[in-house]
Amino acid sequence: MARDGRKGIGGMADPRRYGIERVAYWLMRLSGLGLLAYFVAHIYETSNILRGRVGWDEILHMTQTTEGHIVLALVIGMCVFHTVNGIRVMLGHGGVGVGRPARPDYPYNPASQNYRHKIGIYSAIILAAVAMMYGLAVMFGE
Amino acid sequence: MRESTIMKIHYGTAIAAVALVAVHVLMRVTQGFAESLEYESVLANYRFVPYAIMLELILILLSVHGFNGLRVILLELRQGRLYEKSVSYGCMAAMVGLIAYGSRTIILTNMGLT
Repeated sequence: MARDGRKGIGGMADPRRYGIERVAYWLMRLSGLGLLAYFVAHIYETSNILRGRVGWDEILHMTQTTEGHIVLALVIGMCVFHTVNGIRVMLGHGGVGVGRPARPDYPYNPASQNYRHKIGIYSAIILAAVAMMYGLAVMFGE
Repeated sequence: MRESTIMKIHYGTAIAAVALVAVHVLMRVTQGFAESLEYESVLANYRFVPYAIMLELILILLSVHGFNGLRVILLELRQGRLYEKSVSYGCMAAMVGLIAYGSRTIILTNMGLT
């Protein structure tokens, strides 16, 4: 809601003009929600083992498809990004790699948004892409 | 509970879950992805007590981490006493429900009640 010059949730959500850190912020939340949805679905999927061999084979028949493998590859990517970026965030919260306190001078670059954390974010994205490719090779390579 | 304590739990569950999920995924990859999903193979995994305990731990760790993460995201979007309490208790209820449902699968399969 744009009220009194405030941009509200839309402003918070806007990934433009705020650098890779804002993109990482959104990817972290979206991957978290995606992984939670997958986790709930996985718990339901595995509960079909209680229906015996027929129930298990039925659910495998539904999930072990090309579409299922693509979804699983996305889950792998989300999982790797969430893990690597999560470690970066944890280290940042612990004061690791955020730089030394200094007098704020023009152009007021935040010390915490430095190259170390940018490398961390890009590494998370690259590792997620590599893991997705490996996952696809394992799933489709058989 | 203080938010700082909750965040420590959030990070602790994350680190522990990464280690255990890595073992869970490696079991799938080393056995061969398709073979590891066969009925007998999955049943054998559930009946092997140390593995069943590991699955239960993963279930608890990821449920706590996942639903606390959801709570944090929802609290970022909106604030207010009633809203915050509803979100916190709602996420807690969902977490307990998921742990109970997943534990039922692990325990019944481990006991051979399939």
